[in-house]
Amino acid sequence: MKRWRDLLGKIGWAFFTILFVIILNFFLFRILPGDPARAGVRDPRLTRENIEAIRVRYGLDKPIINCFESLNPVKIGSCAVNPLDTQFFIYMGNLLKGDLMISFHTNRPVTDILSERLWNTIILIGAGQILAIIIGVLFGMFSAWKARTTLDYASLTLSLVAWSIPTFWLGVILLFWGSNNGMPIAGMSTPGMSSYPFFTRFGDIAKHMFLPTLTYTIVYMGEYMLIMRSSLLDVLSEDYILTAKAKGLSIFQILKDHAIKNAMLPLVTIIAINLGFTVGGVVQIETVFSWPGLGMTIVEALNRRDFPVLQGAFLLIAVAVIAANLLADLAYSYLDPRVKTE
Amino acid sequence: MTKEHFLEVQGLKKYFDAGRPGLFSRDVRYVHAVDGVDLQLRHSEVIALVGESGCGKSTLALLLMGLEDPTAGIVSFEGRDITHLNDNERKDLRRKIQMVFQDPYESLNPTQTIEEIINEPLVVHGIGNNKNERDERVKKALEDAGLKPAEIYLNRYPHELSGGQRQRVVIAAALVLEPEILLADEPVSMLDVSIRAEIINLLAELRITRQIAVIFITHDLGSVGFFADRVAVMYLGRIVEIGTMLEVLEKPQHPYTKALISVIPVPNPRLRRERIILQGETPNPIDMPQGCRFHPRCPVVMATCKVSDPPFVALSKTHQAACLLLVK
Amino acid sequence: METQIAKTAAATPRFQEFWRVFRSNYMGLVGLIMLIIVIFVAIFAPVLSPYDPSSTLNVTTADIYNPPSAAHWLGTDDAGQDVLTNFIFGARVSLTIGFFAAFISLIIGGVFGIIAGFYGGRTEELLMRFTDIMLVIPDLPLMMVVIALTKPSIFNIILVIGLLYWTTTARMVRSQTLAVKSRKFVLRARAIGSGKGHIIRRHILPLVLPILVVQAVLVVSSAVLAESTLSFLGLGDPTALSWGQMLNYAFGRGAMSTGAWWALVVPGFGIVWVVLGLTLLGQGLEQILNPRLDTHHLMPGRPIVTSEAAKVIEKVSGKRPLLEVQNLSINYVNNGKPPARAVENISFTLKEGELIGLVGESGCGKTTLMLALLRLLPSAGQIVNGQVFFNGRDLTALSEEELNTVRWKEVSIVFQGAMNALNPVRTVGDQIAEAIIKHIPGFPRDKRLQERVIELLELVGIAADHKDHFPHQYSGGMRQRAMIAMALACNPQVIIADEPTTALDVMIQAQILELLDSLRKKLGLAIIFVTHDLGVVAEMCDRVLVMYGGVTAEYADVDTIYNEARHPYTQELLKAFPDLTKPKKKLSSIPGYPPRLDALPAGCRFAPRCPLAVDRCHKEQPLLHKLGAAHFASCHLLEASK
Repeated sequence: MKRWRDLLGKIGWAFFTILFVIILNFFLFRILPGDPARAGVRDPRLTRENIEAIRVRYGLDKPIINCFESLNPVKIGSCAVNPLDTQFFIYMGNLLKGDLMISFHTNRPVTDILSERLWNTIILIGAGQILAIIIGVLFGMFSAWKARTTLDYASLTLSLVAWSIPTFWLGVILLFWGSNNGMPIAGMSTPGMSSYPFFTRFGDIAKHMFLPTLTYTIVYMGEYMLIMRSSLLDVLSEDYILTAKAKGLSIFQILKDHAIKNAMLPLVTIIAINLGFTVGGVVQIETVFSWPGLGMTIVEALNRRDFPVLQGAFLLIAVAVIAANLLADLAYSYLDPRVKTE
Repeated sequence: MTKEHFLEVQGLKKYFDAGRPGLFSRDVRYVHAVDGVDLQLRHSEVIALVGESGCGKSTLALLLMGLEDPTAGIVSFEGRDITHLNDNERKDLRRKIQMVFQDPYESLNPTQTIEEIINEPLVVHGIGNNKNERDERVKKALEDAGLKPAEIYLNRYPHELSGGQRQRVVIAAALVLEPEILLADEPVSMLDVSIRAEIINLLAELRITRQIAVIFITHDLGSVGFFADRVAVMYLGRIVEIGTMLEVLEKPQHPYTKALISVIPVPNPRLRRERIILQGETPNPIDMPQGCRFHPRCPVVMATCKVSDPPFVALSKTHQAACLLLVK
Repeated sequence: METQIAKTAAATPRFQEFWRVFRSNYMGLVGLIMLIIVIFVAIFAPVLSPYDPSSTLNVTTADIYNPPSAAHWLGTDDAGQDVLTNFIFGARVSLTIGFFAAFISLIIGGVFGIIAGFYGGRTEELLMRFTDIMLVIPDLPLMMVVIALTKPSIFNIILVIGLLYWTTTARMVRSQTLAVKSRKFVLRARAIGSGKGHIIRRHILPLVLPILVVQAVLVVSSAVLAESTLSFLGLGDPTALSWGQMLNYAFGRGAMSTGAWWALVVPGFGIVWVVLGLTLLGQGLEQILNPRLDTHHLMPGRPIVTSEAAKVIEKVSGKRPLLEVQNLSINYVNNGKPPARAVENISFTLKEGELIGLVGESGCGKTTLMLALLRLLPSAGQIVNGQVFFNGRDLTALSEEELNTVRWKEVSIVFQGAMNALNPVRTVGDQIAEAIIKHIPGFPRDKRLQERVIELLELVGIAADHKDHFPHQYSGGMRQRAMIAMALACNPQVIIADEPTTALDVMIQAQILELLDSLRKKLGLAIIFVTHDLGVVAEMCDRVLVMYGGVTAEYADVDTIYNEARHPYTQELLKAFPDLTKPKKKLSSIPGYPPRLDALPAGCRFAPRCPLAVDRCHKEQPLLHKLGAAHFASCHLLEASK
């Protein structure tokens, strides 16, 4: 009974957070300075009529919400407007239909642009995250087990340095190195590759992925290593490890059966919380390596003042992070009996 | 105002919200922490409040201190109800009733010096006209608590003192307000055996030199012996037996008291005796047993015990116990 | 009486104390030095830099991307400017933004955290839910959007970073506030009559402040990183040349294709230097704040020292008792300082089915002794003398693998506080089964294993349906029973019970004691019972070893100890113990405190507290004197009565 209530509570909370993000996302672009129409299509040749036509086309002529014509500058409007005919409700209505408006720049639906790019980002994050976790956790384990030895100090120093390197800079340096050593320097694949057989194409993508993934892995493994080290150290100084030792179990058995799982539990939550920060790293990596993912989309849209794309990309990322957090939260309460069985 | 009973507790209850049993359940469940306690305390009297963990003795102490608000019942001090006071009245009352906590490691702020700790109550209450006067009071309180000479301790931090010394500092911080009642919540249970007697002796001394009444809360019947005037035994939120120290320790009437006394180890192998060991554990105070709350564990339970709640039976002028076996 | 403390030096001021600890923390020290260097560079930028940063005049195309040379130590950049000069002045921009942004975020996070933690209830719910939302919103994209929509100026960047980077601070401060609030001294402050403002100012803030300092260091580093990232992405203040901005220009304007590595490496080095310095400082402070002995139970133990002489005496004896401890001494290695002599020359024997009590106050070495029997000492502990014979085998001479066949199979342990002694994420039944699988190789792993587990649980009075429950679902008494069931799993000959009833209620304590006693009779177990409670010992034990300050004070059968004790410590301890049969008797206490192991007195360890001490007691350590067939005590006064 309690479990179901907790589950419902968590899902409800995730939805509430998403709603908050949607509202923030809508008003942010209208509170802050800059007329979307004017900013989006900067062309001195545009006449007043043309601008008006663009405003009508993107629905920017409608009041933002009841009582407010616009929010920057604040212009009080009529409150008697049909709520369904305000920008806010049109935006919400479109969202429900899965419509994220049309790009100012390319005139393509934002949904199409994003769905194309989403996968590229997921591939990059997935590969990088898995490698970072595996390497970080392994190093953390050895470091904790061999605490206060040269091995421990070396991997601790390495992790702290890796943690302090700005993602974009590491990317730039690796790119500099790579470009002098025949690595591809931009994008996901060599142009014209689509006609080649599958394995050639696959190899080509893998080659393109190498440097971005390496950057991602180095930047994030340091943190996982530090967390795993301290988590496992905590576990290994618990009384139940002494019990296990008194039971005559070998060191390998103790690590396998009593320490690793207990130490991994806190990591689940931290991986989830990190996803929010991870997105920041992906934006940088994609920019440096011109990787056509969501991060590059955001940077491009910013430079072109393509607000619908920007809004859509931001919303998509936020929802993805919230969903990942929810999943991690549920996974944790499933894995840890102390939460599971009340 | 009855001169004799200057602290009087009537029908005191404290229920804590325990949440709903299910998602769609209407009734909220409660933890019956304190469930109807009557108690009187005379001037410079020492009452020992004895019970196992979860019997409500610590909650009772917090209620008496006004650190928790009671669900029902009255606590009156010198004839005045003190359960519903505003902040200023409450603050004035604090000077009269002070408390000593169980864990001397936890009850001192590690960032304050001993002088700051003892001086703090004076500052809070604006006592003392100048620094000299306050310094004098601080020193007197320290020396009364057995930390002589006071000067050695003033500039030290709690972590530099031993457990016994820290407990003395806590006592000094209570004494500096010159209270009339001292509530001591398990003041010796964290200390080594060889130190315990020292603190108990100190408390016993204070009631003579300063006329302080002491409510001594403990789980250890053995330690109350020589300085308690009266002993009250609590079980699941209620007092089940109360009497003078000798009445309770030598002629216990309630089956719970009897069992409790029988399991206290006697430090002499020649006096090993039959122990009455109650089976099971104290039920949780959310689902109170029907009838007598002790009946599920009682070794001499009768059919009626499962139905009716026993009244307090007077066994002498000072001795009462709540058991149906005693009803004639 | 409490002169012990008067002799120590005067109290040290808190800052000096902090510096003493900090100095030995290399991580923090290196971080601090790195940070001081960069702050120095930023302050004295005009003096240190070889060129004037504002001179963009007289630049020709020939000056662009010149490699390092005598004129330009670190080369020139895309605008033909000196990279070193820009690097030095860049420190100013990065640090300014970092410090101011961190300041804003710390104020917000600190206030939110303290209010939420202290007031609780709806206020807390509201604030923390808001914090949670802010925590999941990806911060870099949000900062990019906000700065792109407003104007990328230093002021805006500071404001945006400050307004977004407070969430972790708020959470940390809140949990620290909650932790402080639940401590007894806050309750005591309320009991004194202090108001909320007073409590926050005098009791909460001083204890939250250290966390806030660590957090400040870490937030500055995040802010420096955030600023450089924004600048690199083209969202920096175009009028302020920060390190991120330098990288942005170099990356965007052909440094890559011209091979001008210096324009890319130098500014990045600055960022790494600052962030690494701050991270190290933060980690160092964190370590001081939450000191953790970087030691754990799986670290290799120290080599055992055994004297050859002891081995020779050994061979003479005939019929051996089940367990025989001979002259066991254990030291704790104390880096730099002389080792702490935790246990010295303890000998005792244990026969089949016998129950021996090991009694002493906290810090007397009883737990150390018990752990040493199965060589389970923490890594600082070292057996420096003596042997432990079990069935004629010297346990101190076995390898770890050989020892693992004795542990639990022959000698098992019931630990104190079974909550922590059981693994919280495995079921109780599973943990019992584990011991059987390990030590009884042929045991079938099917229904019979489960039946055996249930049989063991029922033996200690736990119903079979609790088998698949986790330790946290058990009550304190049940956990202790489960621990006993686990100890019995392989039918051992000896059980070591380390304060098995401490922290349990009197009635539960009685239940556990009776259980142990009945199991002993039923299964013929020999038990070593470690406790501080003289009453429990009197009720159960056959023989008693009283320890004081790591040595044997008195060793005899239980009746002798309680009725004919000869050692002054035993006598005084008995007087301090309340006796229900004589309720009116005034208790006497032993003045002073048990000795600390790192500051043992020179002579007899009890001498400073002993009412009968003479000069000799303060100078010379007494030997263990034999007073009867099986009665020993270590006191100079008993020498004549041998």
